[in-house]
Parts: sequence; C-alpha cells; structure tokens
Amino acid sequence: MAEDYAGVIIGLEIHLQLATKAKLFCECPSDYRNAEINTQICPICTSQPGSKPMSLNKTAVKNLLKLVIALNGKLDPGAPIAVQRKHYFYPDLPSNYQRTSKPIAVKGKLGKIGIWELHIEEDPGRYDLKTGKVDYNRSGVPLVETVTAPDFRSPEEAREFLDELQAITNYLGNIRSEPGSMKVDANISFKGGKRVEVKNINSFKGVYTALKYEIVRQKNMFASGIAVEQETRHYDEGQGVTTGMRKKETAEDYRYIPDPDELPLVITKELIEEAKKEMPELPRAKVERFVKSYKIREDSAWVVCGELELANLFEKLAKEIDPQKLAFWISGPLKKQLNYRTLFFKESGLRESDIKTLSSKFIAGEITDKVMEQKLIEMLNAQASGKHFELKLEEVIKISDSVELEKIVKQAIASNPKVVEDFKAGNDKSLNFLAGQIMKQTKGRADAQAVMQLIRKLVQ
Amino acid sequence: MATGFTKNRLEKILSGSLSASENVEQHLSAIDKNEKNIRAFIDIFADDARKKAKEIDAKIKGRTKVGKLAGLTIAVKSNICISGKRATCASKVLENYVAPYNATVIERILAEDAIIIGAANMDEFAAGSDCTNSAFYPTHNPLDHERVPGGSSGGSAAAVSAGFADLALGSDTGGSIRCPASFCGIVGMKSTYGTVSRYGLIDMGMSLDQIGPFACDSSGANLLLSAISGKDKFDQSTYASAEAGSGAHADISKFTIGIPKEFFAGADPEVAKAVKDSIKKLEAKGAKVKEISLPAVKYAVPIYYLTMCAEFSSAMQKYDGLRYGFPANVNQNLVLAVSEAREKSFGKEVKRRVLLGTYITMKEQVDAWYTKAIDARKALSHEFDSAFKQCDVLIGPTMPTLPWKIGEKSNDPLQMYLSDILTVSANLAQIPAASIPCGMSGKLSIGLQIHANKLQEAKIFAIMKALEE
Ligand SMILES: [Zn+2]
Repeated sequence: MAEDYAGVIIGLEIHLQLATKAKLFCECPSDYRNAEINTQICPICTSQPGSKPMSLNKTAVKNLLKLVIALNGKLDPGAPIAVQRKHYFYPDLPSNYQRTSKPIAVKGKLGKIGIWELHIEEDPGRYDLKTGKVDYNRSGVPLVETVTAPDFRSPEEAREFLDELQAITNYLGNIRSEPGSMKVDANISFKGGKRVEVKNINSFKGVYTALKYEIVRQKNMFASGIAVEQETRHYDEGQGVTTGMRKKETAEDYRYIPDPDELPLVITKELIEEAKKEMPELPRAKVERFVKSYKIREDSAWVVCGELELANLFEKLAKEIDPQKLAFWISGPLKKQLNYRTLFFKESGLRESDIKTLSSKFIAGEITDKVMEQKLIEMLNAQASGKHFELKLEEVIKISDSVELEKIVKQAIASNPKVVEDFKAGNDKSLNFLAGQIMKQTKGRADAQAVMQLIRKLVQ
Repeated sequence: MATGFTKNRLEKILSGSLSASENVEQHLSAIDKNEKNIRAFIDIFADDARKKAKEIDAKIKGRTKVGKLAGLTIAVKSNICISGKRATCASKVLENYVAPYNATVIERILAEDAIIIGAANMDEFAAGSDCTNSAFYPTHNPLDHERVPGGSSGGSAAAVSAGFADLALGSDTGGSIRCPASFCGIVGMKSTYGTVSRYGLIDMGMSLDQIGPFACDSSGANLLLSAISGKDKFDQSTYASAEAGSGAHADISKFTIGIPKEFFAGADPEVAKAVKDSIKKLEAKGAKVKEISLPAVKYAVPIYYLTMCAEFSSAMQKYDGLRYGFPANVNQNLVLAVSEAREKSFGKEVKRRVLLGTYITMKEQVDAWYTKAIDARKALSHEFDSAFKQCDVLIGPTMPTLPWKIGEKSNDPLQMYLSDILTVSANLAQIPAASIPCGMSGKLSIGLQIHANKLQEAKIFAIMKALEE
C-alpha cells in the first residue's frame, strides 16, 4: 500500500460550524436545519443597506478557543481577533464580501499532523442553482476553519486525522458535525508537481474517496505523459469523482481590508482560562487511559472513544462486564450496525439497559451471535420507526442442552432423506441446507458450529 | 439668524399656542409654495406627518408626557432607513428599495415625538459636495436658486433653510453636513465618531460616517443631537450616552482658540475676513487666540479620498444587480452579468470612487496606497491631538469659497474634491466639528467651522452660543 502513495502530499482546510445559539454577528438562531427558507434572518445577516454587524458572538469565540486548545494551537493572550472583509461576488453572499478573521492561533499539532492556523468566519447563505433562490438562514452562522500543514502522505492518514477531529468535535459538543455542516477543501500534489485543490467536499467520508480518486487521476496523467496543472476541482459526491472547475492562473484577489465596523475583540487571559477549565478529557488521552487501565486493544479503544457517549457507556458497563470482550463487542457488532445506518450512538436511541443486557448475555455465551445481531437490528429498526420495543431474551437463550440439540438434528436428518442422499453422493454442500433448516427452526438459538458438528456426526 | 428659534417653537407646541398639526401645516404650505424651486425632497410624507401630528396633539391635550422633540418636523436624508419608506440614496440602484427596518436615529426621534416630513435629496450615495450628483435632480440653494446648496446632505440643509422643516438629519463623511450648513446659512454638526449610532445609515466610509443634526440655531442642533446620541448595540463604535456630547456649559472666557494657518491658506478673502471678524468677537468675550500650524492638513484631501474610496468600494459591493438596481441579465456568465448591471445602475461619481477604491485595495496596490493612507491618517490625528493639548477649539472657515453655480464644478472632480479640504480632517481624526453662519456676501451665507477634541461637543456649542449672542 505504502508504495502506491509514494510522493503524495496532502493538506486539508476544514470548515466546521460552531453550534452556538445565535449567529456570529446578529441575534438570529444559528441552527437552520429544520427552518423554513428565509425565516431566520434579519437586516444584519441579509446585509440590508445600512445594517452593521454586532460584536463577535462571545460563545462562538470561546468554542473556537476550545478547538484551538484541543489542537494544541498557540494562543496569545491580549491578541485581538481582527475581522477582515474578503471580497468576491457570489449570490449566496449578501454583501459580496465575507467577514473572516485573521488567524487566531498558529502552529498546532494533532498526532503527527501540523496545524498551520485556525480562524473564524461567517457562513454564506445557501444558493440553489436549480431554483435560483438563496436561503439566508445559514448566512452568518459561525464557522471555524482549520488549515493543516501538507503533512498527509496517504488518504488513510487523512481519514485517521479526520476521525480524530470528528471525535474531538463530538467531545467538545459545541461544533456541529452532522452532514452538511462541514466542508473540506483538499490540496493534493505529488512531490515536485503542481498543486490541485479539490473544493467543497461535504463529508469526512467524501474526503477519503476524493483523495483516492484524485491520486489515481494524477498518476494516470503522469503515466500518459500529461503534466498536472495547478487548478481547482470540484468533488462530485454522487459519482465519487473530481471534475475541473476553473484554471487558477493567478491567485484570486479578495482585496482584504480590516472591517471598519467590527472592533477587534481581545482574547483575554480570562477567556482562555475559562475555555481551558471547560475542556473535557480528549479522545487521544482517553484512548491511552483505556488501553492502560482496561487492557483493551488500541484499535478498539479508538473506535470506542470515537464518540464520547460510547466511551462513557463502555466505562459504565466495564464495571460489570469483561472490558476486553466488551470493547470488542462495541467496536465490532454494535459499531457495524451503527455505521451501516450512519448513526452516532447518541442518535441511535438505544437504551443503556438494553445494551447492557444484550452485551452481557452475549459475552457470557447465553445467546448466539445470530440472536444478538438479530436483536440489535430489531432494536434499531424499532427506534427508527418510532415503535416501542422490549428486549426479551428468555425465549432465545442458546440451546446448550446437547441432548435436546441432538434430538432436533436427528429429526431434521430423518425428514430430509434426499439431502442425506446427496451428501453421500459426494455433495458436501448439501449439509449447509440441513444446518439452515435447523437454524430456522430454532430461530437462531442453536450454536451454528455445534449444529454442523452434530450433523456430520449423525449423518454417517 | 434668529437664535432660540427651535426652542421657541417647541415651547409654543408644548404650551398649546401652536399645535403640532398647525406646525406641520405651516411647513407643508411652505413646501407647496417653494419646493418646485428648491427640490429639497425625494419623498414628502404629508399624510404620515399629519397623522403623527394629531397623535402628538392628543397627547399634549391629554397631558400625557411627550418627548423632547414633540411636534417638531424633521427632514431625513435619503440614506437613513425609515421602515416602510424608500431609502433611495438618490440612486437608481435603490430607487425602489423600501427599508425593512428603522435606523437607530429614526427609532430615537420617533420616541421623542418628532414628525418626519420627508426624505431629503442628496448626492448619490453621498458621493459629492454640492448635491448635483443626485440621480434624480439637483437641489437648489434657498438663498440663491442658481447656486448649489452644498453636499452631500444638500436636501436636508435646504429643507431647514427654506422653512420646510424645523430640523433635519444628515450624514457627514468628509463634510457632508457642514458644507451644506455653511452654504445654506444654518447650523450643522458632525459630532465625535461614535456619539451617534450609524445603524441604518447606508454606508459610505464606515470609519468616517456620522449622522448629525441641522437646525436654524445651535440650541436646535444641540437638542436634536441629544435625542439621537448614545450607546447602541447595533453599532459597536458608539459611546455610552454619559460620554456623548451634551449641554453647553463650558465657559469660553477660559478658552484658548487655535487658528491653524492652513485653514486660511486657500480661502476666498471675503470668507477669511468674515471668519476672522467673528474670532475677534470671541476674543472680545475673553477667549485667548493662538496661531498654530497643522502641516498634515495639506495632505488631508488625498488621505481622505483614499480612505473613503477603499471603504466605499467595499460597501458598494452588494449592489450587484441580483438584489438591487437594474436587474442583471443572468443568462450569461456571472461576472459579465454583474458588471453590466453595475455599469447601468451607478452614476459617474459613484463609479469613479468605486473604481478608485477597488484599485487601491488590490493586492499589488494596497501597500502603495491604502496602507499608506491609514498610516497618514494616524499622523494627522496625532497632529490634532497635539493641537488640543494647547487649544480648546480650532476655528477656521467651513468652506474655502462661497457656493458655486449649479453645474460649475460637475466636470471637474478634482476641483470638487479640493473644496473638501477644510472639512475632511474632522472625519479622519474622528473629532467633532460644526458649522455656523458668521456673515453674508450678498445673498450668500458664510460658514465658520469649530473643531474640538473627541467628546468635547460642549465646547463647540459654547462657542456657537457666544457667536449667536
Ligand atoms: Zn440575523
């Protein structure tokens, strides 16, 4: 794998929405997800002639500081947040300039990835190309942009970084990490080659796909002797490909000027202290602690700690359930079902008591993995459709009585003479049919391996 | 000039000897008679004014407490948003733009029971010094109809001067209140940057803009200023009301008046003489007079135009033909569509300033121009700071010349810019300055300008009072 990516250089610019009550420069609500088009607007965020921005939302600033601290960025007490105007014409931008601050912090690090800078800015509105309408509910929502050093050497490294970043935002709880509330621009080049910027990737998953695609594309160009030009490309989420947008001959001129209406807000020592006090234990630290005190594998620890609610659940249950098996169960079967539905644990609606019953019974060997999975799916489906679900395991307890199981197998053999004939004629696979019949009859309560062994023994 | 004019009228209204309705009718009939010659207004709100007057009369009759501007009529410059009314900025771009909200100053004057009589004419987006750059029609000077009223708040000044309104609101970015006050023979004041909220004032140069009052006399200007000033969460630059300029209690016999020689350098001799005569009057009242020099004033005009145009081009960016102005033809590339719409929507002077401002903020140019202007502005402010260490106020002419004829300077933008030489420094230094009539030349009035240090409006009012006595 490593050779495939020889010479690859990747840097990321990650835009995340800060989950504040109000927008950055006005008092409109910032959560627009369930709002009717253009209902959360005012003269300020629609930039009506004559309107002026209010002073920077303090909560947004504190949330930003927390992210800076999490990314080990250097904060300079007494430094002002200087808001600038970045000019460009676009229908989603009501004033045709965007308010964006100068870097708030520089020189951070997450793992081995350097962080160049973080700054705060306002989100533009949402322009629907099809209808030509602009929804300004999003206009003015606080965004933080994190610019990494070009330190990634493969799409996997980028994915790992973004997973950790997502975990951090989840722990901080003040950053929206739902789909649509984040945006990534990726810079990809090969050593000595020109830099291609892929813009507007709207999910962390998309970043990985886009990077993989773009690397193959550039490699194919090299192979055919075509030079890669410096350009900006667009990521097409549906197709998983990048397409050319515009050639970047010279850097666009945004004519930055200090915003004359926005007085610089000073990052005081007190504000930094306040942010520090509110910092939770971060994912990286938690992983280390879990590995050390619960003796669980590091890779499962990262999965368990990928979401604060999941990590908390683990710690609670680990008091009564074998931590190693529990971690294995959470990072395996549980996470598989959640990922399949692209759900965070906290959104799944799964009850702690049910999870405890299910995992402990499974780990104790009282239910089969078939039953466990079945029940997990039933619970998630019930939650998704808003139905009440009661977890009952009495009837599905594993058939551990070998006499009973032998009886069932014998019965199955007796009532399927044709299958037995097939087997004797040399068709080994026909036994699978028998096993399937038995599993169906027992509703998965029988242990699949034990059933197969019994069939082989009794069919002779 | 009748001193105490505004106060007398207010007292009459409060005592019931003149109803607010009668006051409104008097102004409306003056408008009826003379507006066709002056063209001070873009919109006249006769019905609203009558309705509001009735409400105030009912309050007075019912002995309900009324505000400090009760029943007084006010003309409002067309770049200040009045909810439900057009805020045209005298531009084709905003010809049909109805403001969805009130500027803070409008909220405040309405809370004080003022009556808004109309939206006053101005230079398009305040870009001009004589009110001939209105996209609709020029305003005429009430003192001499062939001449300009000054600008950019020419309509507001003309409305007060012609007796169409008791008071008026204008905005001053580089002299836009003081110049027309001087040309129309009335009092106009630009207070310290941050004393009056700019929320709802359509931007020109955001670090320079300030809304201010016009009145027949200084006490009228003081009254209106006190009503509109004070802290506003919608404008971060505003001071708490306790700090903002208020009553005139300063004693001028203890004042040192600075006379910067640069203020008289290019002044018309007639203008200079009238101002110097007034200074003698102040000396006679016990003030000390001191000649000083402010060398940076020589550079004030270029510093001002660079600063203002940079901010102006940013503020004008939103008028793209997609939201305001002539609708852009969107069936083509966005850049072409927007440029075409902007080409059609803006007047010549607005375009000139937008282009200049865009040029000097371009990546390759910004250090050579805009950044230098910011530094030079600091140096100029510093010079004023030092002057105020030895002087209480600085006095000179408001305008170097008498009002010119309509059209005379329309084809010579540089000459027009130079006429701002004496007014722009106050905006750059963010200090208060006012213009008050100090003499006549035939039918025309001459204005005297008083500067004070930040938040020392009281000193300016004290000087004006002394000159009115
Ligand atoms: Zn808003």
